[in-house]
Amino acid sequence: MNKSIEAGNTSKRTFDKGTTRSYQNEKWFVRIALAPILLLFGVFAFLPIAWSLLLSFYDYSPLSNHAVFTGMKNYTLLLQDAVFLKSLWVTFKFVGITVISNIVITLIIASAIYAIRIQWLKNLFRTLFFLPAIAPLAGTAIVWTTILNYDSGLFNVILGQLHIAPVHWLSDPKYALLSVIMMTLWADIGYNIVLFIAGRESIADMYYEAAILDGANRWHLFFFVTLPLLRRTMLFVTITTVISYFQAFPQFQIMTKGEPFNETRVLALNIYDQAFSNSNMGYASAMATIFLIIILIVTLIQFRLGRASWEQ
Amino acid sequence: MQRKSPWLDSIVLVFLIVTAVAMMVPYLWMVVSSFKSNMDIMSGQGSFFPTHPTLEGYFTVFEDAPFVKWMWNSAISAVIITIITLFTSALAGYVFAKHQFKGKRILFVLILATMMIPFQVIMIPTYLITARLGLIDHLAAIILPNLVSSYGVFLAKQFIEDIPQDLLDAARIDGAGELRLMIRIIAPLILPMLSALGIFTFMNAWNNYLWPLIVLNDTDHMTVPLALVYFNGTHVVNYNVVMSAAVLITLPVMIVFLIFQKQFIKGLTMTGMK
Repeated sequence: MNKSIEAGNTSKRTFDKGTTRSYQNEKWFVRIALAPILLLFGVFAFLPIAWSLLLSFYDYSPLSNHAVFTGMKNYTLLLQDAVFLKSLWVTFKFVGITVISNIVITLIIASAIYAIRIQWLKNLFRTLFFLPAIAPLAGTAIVWTTILNYDSGLFNVILGQLHIAPVHWLSDPKYALLSVIMMTLWADIGYNIVLFIAGRESIADMYYEAAILDGANRWHLFFFVTLPLLRRTMLFVTITTVISYFQAFPQFQIMTKGEPFNETRVLALNIYDQAFSNSNMGYASAMATIFLIIILIVTLIQFRLGRASWEQ
Repeated sequence: MQRKSPWLDSIVLVFLIVTAVAMMVPYLWMVVSSFKSNMDIMSGQGSFFPTHPTLEGYFTVFEDAPFVKWMWNSAISAVIITIITLFTSALAGYVFAKHQFKGKRILFVLILATMMIPFQVIMIPTYLITARLGLIDHLAAIILPNLVSSYGVFLAKQFIEDIPQDLLDAARIDGAGELRLMIRIIAPLILPMLSALGIFTFMNAWNNYLWPLIVLNDTDHMTVPLALVYFNGTHVVNYNVVMSAAVLITLPVMIVFLIFQKQFIKGLTMTGMK
């Protein structure tokens, strides 16, 4: 039935026999094509989500092989767990600071690259800013660890030449999170620069021409033409960046291991450590559930805000 | 158009040159450190350039660990993941774009929804499933969960929907089967999208750190991101070794990126704009 609607315009009555046969073929094709794909999605995406929710009500360690149903115990324990509460705070601090700085920096750099009139130069800059984004984050994290090294790292060498006392970048509670934020920004701004340049390129010249006729200067153009018309890109960029920074893991695990004093123990690292270092999988799953709820709420809020600003 | 102002143009250019150079410093540091000798590092003079350039670090990487094996593990798993993901994405995209069946919308929404699930949420059960399948420490543990991509299915569906139905019907009347139709007609038409997805998939597979960290413990079965951490643990002091490994691991992705840059950038903007 659906088939005849879909192909209605082209297949004439004379092909009726053929179409019924190919309809049968199509039905089998759909089944055979989707079966393995849905099996993979089922086993490695749908099932784990349900299992994770379930596991959060159990006391489970892979070493003992005995899962004990404990109801809400994991969740009530979480609320009293100072390390967990701190990791929540650190995660929000990290995501907030890093996302806002990322968007400001990438918007400035993308506008600057867009303003370049020579095409190859434009491409060159885009490539240079993008290169860090393709390197393995684990490698980048290790390179930065040596750059931030107290005794021989580049940063302290430069400070030394300026006669400033060296800094314990990764072990001083004041600087540890900041250090990881710097590294994350370095490794990640390429993506949003590319997206902002593309967003800017898709804005028609006529808006600018009209604004200039009305006497707008460069700042007016940026704040009253470019920014409002970049809203769609902005929404996309913010959502993807927020989700990806919530999941930031290699840099924390490699550079600071959550130290000093849990100043860098983000939720993602906390879940990993509880599950795979402490074999506390039920408890880690409860954290994962809270993590999931946070991501869903944050995404929903962003969609709402984004939609509201479109409709204005 | 905007008024031209040579002053502003040169300020913008200088700003970009300075920031771009600053962006390249960590790479310069990585390469330069990889050529330092132990002496250079131990003496702690902190000179930026090596006083006695040497390949010592690179030799140690190959002598101390099965580095070639790790490269091979990474390459083979990334290639298999990429090829199969492209195939499953195109196939599912075709089915969702051009076929009707019961539960189609629900299934598609479910698949899309998995895009928003952070990996940390599903990693524990995924580990338990992989363990039950007896795949811990096998490359299959890296490959199997990564053969489908919800993002790939979504992209493929968007692009296949734009292919005119007439074209497909004409081929069907000529007697082409569904699979042939997909490979001969649809795949070439969505090639730009497939190549973008392919590069993304390859790089993500090559760079993946968290999942291999969970399922690969045996030194022989590691992939290269784990190798870095291995060297970082065993050569804390001699970071020329660690930096040499970092150079060797970063180089392949850089080369792949520089070759396919155009498709990559196009693919990136495609997702943001669609």
